[in-house]
Amino acid sequence: MTETKKPWAPTPAEVAAKAATSSALIVPGSTAVTEPIVLRNDLWNPADPNAYSGGQPAAITHLAEFDASGAGRHDDARWSGLLEIIPTKADYVLDLLRANSLWPLLSGLACCAIEMMSFATSKNDIDRWGAFPFRASPRQADVLIVAGTLTTKMAGPLLRLWEQMPEPKWCVAMGDCTCSGGRYKRSYATVEGIDRIMPVDVYVPGCPPRPEGLIFGMMKLQQLIKDRRGHWPERAIGPTVPAGV
Amino acid sequence: MTTETAPRSGEPRPAPKGTHRSTDDPNVLLQDDYDFYEPIPPYTPRTEREAEFYTLGDGEMFLNMGPQHPSTHGVLRVVLKLDGERVVDIDPVLGYLHRGVEKLVENADYHQTISQVDPLEYISSLFCEWAPVTAYERLLDVEVPRRAEYIRVLSGELNRIASHALFLGWFALDLGGLTPILWSFIERDEIVEMLAALTGQRMLFNYFRIGGVNGDLNHEFMSRLGDWMSRAVGQIEAGMGLLNENEIFVRRAAGLGVIDTEMALRYCMTGPNLRATGVPFDLRRTHPYSIYPELEFDIPTRTEGDCLARYLLRMEEIKQSIRIIDQCLDKMPDGPIMAKLPRLIRPRPGRAWSGVEGPRGVYGAYAISDGTDQPFRLKIHDPSFIHLQAVGALLPGCLLADCMAVMASLDPIMGGVDK
Repeated sequence: MTETKKPWAPTPAEVAAKAATSSALIVPGSTAVTEPIVLRNDLWNPADPNAYSGGQPAAITHLAEFDASGAGRHDDARWSGLLEIIPTKADYVLDLLRANSLWPLLSGLACCAIEMMSFATSKNDIDRWGAFPFRASPRQADVLIVAGTLTTKMAGPLLRLWEQMPEPKWCVAMGDCTCSGGRYKRSYATVEGIDRIMPVDVYVPGCPPRPEGLIFGMMKLQQLIKDRRGHWPERAIGPTVPAGV
Repeated sequence: MTTETAPRSGEPRPAPKGTHRSTDDPNVLLQDDYDFYEPIPPYTPRTEREAEFYTLGDGEMFLNMGPQHPSTHGVLRVVLKLDGERVVDIDPVLGYLHRGVEKLVENADYHQTISQVDPLEYISSLFCEWAPVTAYERLLDVEVPRRAEYIRVLSGELNRIASHALFLGWFALDLGGLTPILWSFIERDEIVEMLAALTGQRMLFNYFRIGGVNGDLNHEFMSRLGDWMSRAVGQIEAGMGLLNENEIFVRRAAGLGVIDTEMALRYCMTGPNLRATGVPFDLRRTHPYSIYPELEFDIPTRTEGDCLARYLLRMEEIKQSIRIIDQCLDKMPDGPIMAKLPRLIRPRPGRAWSGVEGPRGVYGAYAISDGTDQPFRLKIHDPSFIHLQAVGALLPGCLLADCMAVMASLDPIMGGVDK
């Protein structure tokens, strides 16, 4: 069947004449709209390079470099891959969440534990900034508030508690005994400061510190989480004071 | 440096010298010569008792409670041998809070020892100071001014109320009630704030001195005390009302952990735990010290000897303490608060015993002087340690859930147990 000439259709000569004088982007009657729109694949690489592009190497540069660096493939609990192109706001939001829902471990060692309980109960209600649910299990806790004298016998179990806590985790040394040894520094039975056996983020001195002091310490910890985000995995565990001192 | 960009490559950067990365979590650095995960070698029993305990019978199992456990009131470890939910036997492990106080005291000045013995029973610190201080005063044969004695009794009874208020909260918490601790900490915080106005510290007061007290009554303390006294009884009774009328609490606590008189005397129990069995033994009456002979108060006793009786007895004692405070304020004499003593104290060689009735029982101190400015020996007798021994007799036969209630009703403080 041959194409019949439609009487209302413009002839190519008329189209050309109209295109020369028209300012419209798509000229009626032209064939431009009928051609497929092809965009380059700038956004992702197929897992199998032969699958879509027929074995042709993708003509991208910056993403190829990014891919070769391997940064998009390292897998941990944090944002990874191309989502890192999304601005760092994602990490910031995560840190906000972490800082404002700190779950301390319910582990009191000595005198300071009473002030830690006062810090949690009616008068100094730490629930006001979401630090309340004291978890009895280290696997559910974010913050270890070491409240009280750490003796050599208790050092092992405390370290075990710290090791059982999932990352990210933070440690608050509450009281003089945990900061430096305090009034029991000269005793044969105590650890002179818990930073000899575990990393410490915030030191709250006092014997014991008032609950307001611990509140201030926890606020400092929140600030630290927001400021020093991402630095927590790189802390070394071990004595900060050389052996023999 | 290349190592700085290494984490981007997906491989963790090489560990610093002397450390290695944990196999569990490559983000954790461990020291090379330190292994957290050393397997615990099998325990070989050293005594016949241990061999008997660590041999499991048919259907029995071990359960380790502590040292980090919210119900042990500190760092006590108890190995329970269970048959189903019934406790068959227990093996308590002490010493997780042993701070070597008695040794530190031997190397400290007489005045400095007061701050060392302070944190023993940390919720009733004034009584921990009171016993050694009176022992030193007997060594020195010094008379304490009457106003100082009144202030001691006044602050001591306040501290007793704070301690009993905490007991109310903890005991209810161990029986599953979460609300009373919120109420009791309101009382406790008010009392320790007024004591802070008097002594300068909220918990470890370091207030009593050899021959008197550190500071006189001040305006802030008196105004806080008057404010609190006007509603103290009502507040305490409101807190008690949460528990006394709670049928679950009463039926669980009644008949639990019964101590009879003979057992209490055999275990050398003192304080509320003894008085709950019907023995009206109170050092304030039987061996009067300070100004207690001049004051009117009752010695409440109960005859049941169970957890509920010990709880109710402590609540009665709060009311008697308020009565004592009232009389102290009424009779408070004027005068000095410190005896005249030299700065450097060298008691003549000798030995002295002193005991005071604390919220848990008799706090005792046995001081031996060799004529120098440091005590040759200070033996501290602590009621918590005495009372904790009773769990070995009380817990076998209990249900697992009742263990905490029995232990809490004895009200031990691990600082005093382990010293």
